[in-house]
Amino acid sequence: MLRFKLPPLFLLLAALLFSNLAMATPSDAKVAGFAGADYWNVVKQGDQGSTQAQGQEAGQLINVAGEEWRLWRNQWVTPAGAYAIGGTLAILAIFYLIVGQKKLDAPRSGELIERWKRLDRANHWTVAILFIILAVSGLSLLYGKFFLRDVLGDSLWANYIMLCKLAHNYLGPLFVLGLLFMIVRWMKHNIFNGTDIVWFLKGGGIVGKAHPSAGYMNGGEKIWFWLLTIVGLVVCASGLVMDFQNFGQDRETMQIANLLHGVGSLILIVGSFGHIYIGTLGTEGALEGMKTGYVDETWAKQHHDLWYEEVKNGNDKSSS
Amino acid sequence: MARMKFLCDSKRCIECNGCVTACKNENDVEWGIQRRRVVTINDGEPGETSISVACMHCSDAPCMAVCPTDCFYQTDDGIVLHNKDLCIGCGYCLYACPFGAPQFPSDAAFGERGKMDKCTFCAGGPEEDNSPEEKAKYGANRIAEGKLPMCAEMCSTKALLAGDANEVSDIFRERVIYRGHNDGAWSMSEEELAYDATQQKV
Amino acid sequence: MRLTKKSNQPAAATKATGLGLSRRRFLKNSGVAAGGVAAVGMMSPGMMKQAEAATASAGAPTDVKRTICSHCSVGCGVYAEVQNGVWTGQEPAFDHPFNAGGHCAKGAALREHGHGDRRLKYPMKLVDGKWKKLSWEDAINEVGDKMLQVRKESGPDSVYWLGSAKFSNEQAYLFRKYAAMWGTNNVDHQARICHSTTVAGVANTWGYGAMTNSFNDIHFAKSIILIGSNPAEAHPVSLQHIFRAKERNKAHIICVDPRFTRTAAHADEYVRIRPGSDVAFIWGLLWHIFENGWEDKQFIQQRVYGMDEVRAEVKNWTPDEVENVTGVKESQMRRAAKELAENRPGTVIWCMGGTQHTTGNNNTRAYCILMLALGNMGTSGGGTNIFRGHDNVQGATDLGILSHTLPGYYGLSDGAWKHWSKVWDVDHSWMQDRFDQTVYRKLKPMNNKGIPVSRWIDGILEDKKLIDQKDNLRVMVCWGHAVNSQTRGPEMKKAIEKLDTLVIVDPYPTHAAVMSDRKDGVYLIPACTQFETYGSVTASNRSIQWRDQVIEPLFESKPDHEIMYLFSKKLGFDKQLFKNIEIKNNQPVVEDITREINKGMWTIGYTGQSPERLKLHQKNWHTFNFDTLKGEGGPASDEYYGMPWPCWGTAEQGHPGTPILYDTSKSVADGGLTFRARFGVERDGVSLLAEGSFGKDSDIKDGYPEFSDKLLKKLGWWDDLTAEEKQMAEGKNWKTDLSGGIQRVAIAHGCSPFGNAKARAVVWTFPDKVPLHREPLYTPRRDLVSKYPTWNDSESMYRLPTMYKSIQDKDVSKEYPIILTSGRLVEYEGGGEETRSNPWLAELQQEMFVEVNPVDANNLGFKDGEDVWVEGAEGGKVLVKALVTRRVDEGVVFMPFHFGGMFQGKDLTDKYPSGAAPYVIGEAANTATTYGYDPVTQMQETKVTLCRVQKATA
Repeated sequence: MLRFKLPPLFLLLAALLFSNLAMATPSDAKVAGFAGADYWNVVKQGDQGSTQAQGQEAGQLINVAGEEWRLWRNQWVTPAGAYAIGGTLAILAIFYLIVGQKKLDAPRSGELIERWKRLDRANHWTVAILFIILAVSGLSLLYGKFFLRDVLGDSLWANYIMLCKLAHNYLGPLFVLGLLFMIVRWMKHNIFNGTDIVWFLKGGGIVGKAHPSAGYMNGGEKIWFWLLTIVGLVVCASGLVMDFQNFGQDRETMQIANLLHGVGSLILIVGSFGHIYIGTLGTEGALEGMKTGYVDETWAKQHHDLWYEEVKNGNDKSSS
Repeated sequence: MARMKFLCDSKRCIECNGCVTACKNENDVEWGIQRRRVVTINDGEPGETSISVACMHCSDAPCMAVCPTDCFYQTDDGIVLHNKDLCIGCGYCLYACPFGAPQFPSDAAFGERGKMDKCTFCAGGPEEDNSPEEKAKYGANRIAEGKLPMCAEMCSTKALLAGDANEVSDIFRERVIYRGHNDGAWSMSEEELAYDATQQKV
Repeated sequence: MRLTKKSNQPAAATKATGLGLSRRRFLKNSGVAAGGVAAVGMMSPGMMKQAEAATASAGAPTDVKRTICSHCSVGCGVYAEVQNGVWTGQEPAFDHPFNAGGHCAKGAALREHGHGDRRLKYPMKLVDGKWKKLSWEDAINEVGDKMLQVRKESGPDSVYWLGSAKFSNEQAYLFRKYAAMWGTNNVDHQARICHSTTVAGVANTWGYGAMTNSFNDIHFAKSIILIGSNPAEAHPVSLQHIFRAKERNKAHIICVDPRFTRTAAHADEYVRIRPGSDVAFIWGLLWHIFENGWEDKQFIQQRVYGMDEVRAEVKNWTPDEVENVTGVKESQMRRAAKELAENRPGTVIWCMGGTQHTTGNNNTRAYCILMLALGNMGTSGGGTNIFRGHDNVQGATDLGILSHTLPGYYGLSDGAWKHWSKVWDVDHSWMQDRFDQTVYRKLKPMNNKGIPVSRWIDGILEDKKLIDQKDNLRVMVCWGHAVNSQTRGPEMKKAIEKLDTLVIVDPYPTHAAVMSDRKDGVYLIPACTQFETYGSVTASNRSIQWRDQVIEPLFESKPDHEIMYLFSKKLGFDKQLFKNIEIKNNQPVVEDITREINKGMWTIGYTGQSPERLKLHQKNWHTFNFDTLKGEGGPASDEYYGMPWPCWGTAEQGHPGTPILYDTSKSVADGGLTFRARFGVERDGVSLLAEGSFGKDSDIKDGYPEFSDKLLKKLGWWDDLTAEEKQMAEGKNWKTDLSGGIQRVAIAHGCSPFGNAKARAVVWTFPDKVPLHREPLYTPRRDLVSKYPTWNDSESMYRLPTMYKSIQDKDVSKEYPIILTSGRLVEYEGGGEETRSNPWLAELQQEMFVEVNPVDANNLGFKDGEDVWVEGAEGGKVLVKALVTRRVDEGVVFMPFHFGGMFQGKDLTDKYPSGAAPYVIGEAANTATTYGYDPVTQMQETKVTLCRVQKATA
């Protein structure tokens, strides 16, 4: 399906001229030959010529970076993304099959603690839904043509992929707003501290019975947050650059933006698989917090013991 | 089998823009879209050289390779065409194209570029040959009529050639021989003819 | 990046598209669209038939019309496809002998004429600053009444009839006849400001003032010198022929121009001269030629008179002096002269860069003398290939839309009037009565040159006591002529405002309609283009081509000849004007006009090209040879395409036309000629007739004077005439014998009807006998003014006082230090209204600009793309974009002249009738140009004046 071939690109462009140096030294006029090398040197650097055409970059004869972009996108990003996505899904599946769901150690206490306020949840789910839409549409734009067109047939495919593009372009900016809000709102929970080092050293307690201590957010969640913050901002910024091309960005800017956007998005998508897995299938009771806003004390004690203690001691700073 | 190519003899191209308006005329191309343009290097100085550029109908076309919707297709004659019904106006073909061939009617926010438009080698699109739909979306289909692209047919100095690559280069070779250069004219010229973007030397 | 072999091309995966096998086979057989001989061979009828057949099956039935591009004088053929009366397609005419299918931007955009979105749609008049729609009837009546009133009060000379090189031959002829019957010589057209100095200079050198060879004949040139000519932009298709010479013939191309033009980019040698130093440059070349004995001594001895006087002047032009005046170094001058001498035959090509000068007639004669010295005349591959501008400027010139002559260069003498009165079948006395019979400065207006188009504004503004006619001009009729192509914009605005009435007959409103502050008294009459009517058109090479009507007139427009008919009816001379011309459905029958032209144009041989013969050539484009234009088989075998004039005698005599003027290697009957005996038979005791040179098959083996009844009798050839011919030829000469008998007999004896003389290198009837370098009126080289001063002021030239010295004596070079020159863009033509209204063209040139050298731009403190004011030496200024380029030299700026619709910084878009403003507007370059006129023809000076350039502050 994904075949990355490197056949010689044959572009027949006439490129033959006399060395027009003949102008400068007319005595050489008779020996003038093709200025192939000189000419191509100029052209290959993407130098601007003059033209009566009005379009942007119309004066540039050869868009040299275009081929490079194509190679990067088609030869590296596209397959690497596919492998990463496939690999991650496979690992999660195997992990689930082997380890199964992380159950609560103790029975539910029935006592609920508020973990996520309504605004937090609204924010999370808005961003999450947008993320999924953007991921699906984005992946469709990157990979859809390899199988979906055959599956859907031209007419459906045309409508579907157009919908993807529209959804991506119009919802993207909303995602940016949601993400920014989330970053600002949750930043304070996600500052790394000493507890996290221990948490990491113990591997987050993914396997086995040991439960490393964690505050309101554990180390893993903080990583996800910072990934979303850093990579997410890159994705957002590059996305905006591409979405609002009306400011006259040149092709090279768009190529770079596209590559950053692609790589960043794939990283986030792969990361999101982990997040979603842990938040749903992987951990019993994890979804409840984001669903209802409340978690069972047992779950809190097990996964966020330090936070639990803070809540119990009445100095919970998280939901202030 | 014919492999259709354009070739612009820069020794003859005088930037008269005849190819540009011939294209507008034949394909009723709207204001703002330049399926073909003439670019001049060293304008106004010794070494001034003009070349008429449009879609070069690459054998391994970068636009095809990057199109997310797979809207491009290549005919038996090697002409790269596209299906506007599939085009979503993402602009990727423009980023990839070495020649700046893809054109977009709009440039609005939220990536609203409209359907891509480009040189069809006067071969229309996927609709029925010379149907009103094809004419409206893609312009003329001269190939179906046994004719060649209007830009080349109307070139004032016969600088722009179009047709089967072999025949185009035969004509070109003949011209070069007539020009009689001391370097043997053709000794290096086949190499000069083509630009291989995949084998760039850094 | 690497360049790979084509044969390495991979067979990329492809999808079947279901295109038929027959098509592929066709492609394989035909292969390519274009290119050299191979292509031309393959582009013969076979391809066209296939194309037509294929198209016809596509939908509505397609009618294919053969027409000729209306944008320049190359005369490119066009196949126009019409479906249900709509111009739906344009196909390249591969079989056309001039362009072989090729077109420049304008020709390739020709079909837009069938849309005409921005056309003037119905007659209109300006009332209180608003455009009001009129019926045709009201328009003709109102304008006609005004004219009759002015005629009564101020005489017929107070109406100015400005005609057009866009007319067909028939319309052009009719227009001149129309003006004559109105009773004035105040009639002119673009040729005045185009090649008038060429026509005068060249005709006075050897007989006829036209391109001597043809575009196709350039194939045989071994050297080509282009001076003041930029065909890559002005005549792009001609480059097809020039490249053929360059590539196949190894022709050496020298381009002489103050600008490094696109033509220069393709030359072997580019010579940059200071604007206005053409004569000095040519004399510089001749200095080397004479110094080294490179001249063609035999040719000069046999066929040139007065070369010794030129020699004496050339002696003064030492390499040092040439460098001082032109700026060209000795080494380059010598090299150029040597190339021309070593590569014969060679041809010279010139255009407006040479003609549009106060010294224009000197320039054109100097070019001719260069060719005479090299012996390049009258030979294939040689000649003076003068590229005319508009599509029919050659024809309109020949047919006399000129204030100084009747059709056929007969002049304005009583003899000329009698000749044409006879052709028109009107009494000479009736003709006289139409004119103002008062004598001004010894001449009656009927015999006195009228005001030229370059000076119509002076005809309005000048003190009427100083003009050689009854009153100032009061009604101005711009009939197919853009006013922004004439100099002195601010004065023109004043002039338009002073007029009683301005009448614009044109497919577009034009700059004239909007540039003044008039609130009323302007009429717009919608004429249609040449694609909405039919008739003949003369290309630069003197070939006459027939055009089919492509479509019916758009909107309410009418063909020019119909409008002339309507006006003549209103003005009361339609009976006389159309005496021999049938009127069908309100329209004069075009063929009848052609026949009347045939009846009277003996001087230059417009007599053999009957409508039937012209149509035959039109139907058989493919039978004419691409190099020689000679018919090869077919119904017009052995005739030259379009029967380039002179096509002697009557149509029945079947003369093939003259492809190369003064070519003695052919019999006159086969298109050969000698130099014309136009200037008498001797001067100061020295014979002006050729010595030992004569045409092939000539019965007279030496020079001879022009033929007349007396000469025939003297030679004993009188009895070769038929009885009928004898009767008509008695007392006549070759120009006035309406039977054509004198011409027939002369040709039967292998003689040129106009005699066999020497070309003259000195024109003793001109202000400068030998062409002299004279500094422009506005020159930055004040140090040269005393040595090369201009002429003294004249009290009357073409009815008007004309200044020279009094202008040159004022030194404005401090305030205005930069030379301003102007020229052409490939996308536009003339005043540009038509082409700027064509979106396909307008899109390519959206802004008026001035080219400035980087050094000047840096010194003056502006950058590329910034707005600047260019102020001409007489105060007219334009707001334009700076284009900083080395194309122009330091101290020289260039502006294209096609823009209009803006005046001194003010946007005039709102002043156009709604929907009729062109897509692109801009300042007219001529708002900044200045005074200066050639003393022989009143050619305006557009190529050298002074200006200053300043950054515009917002």
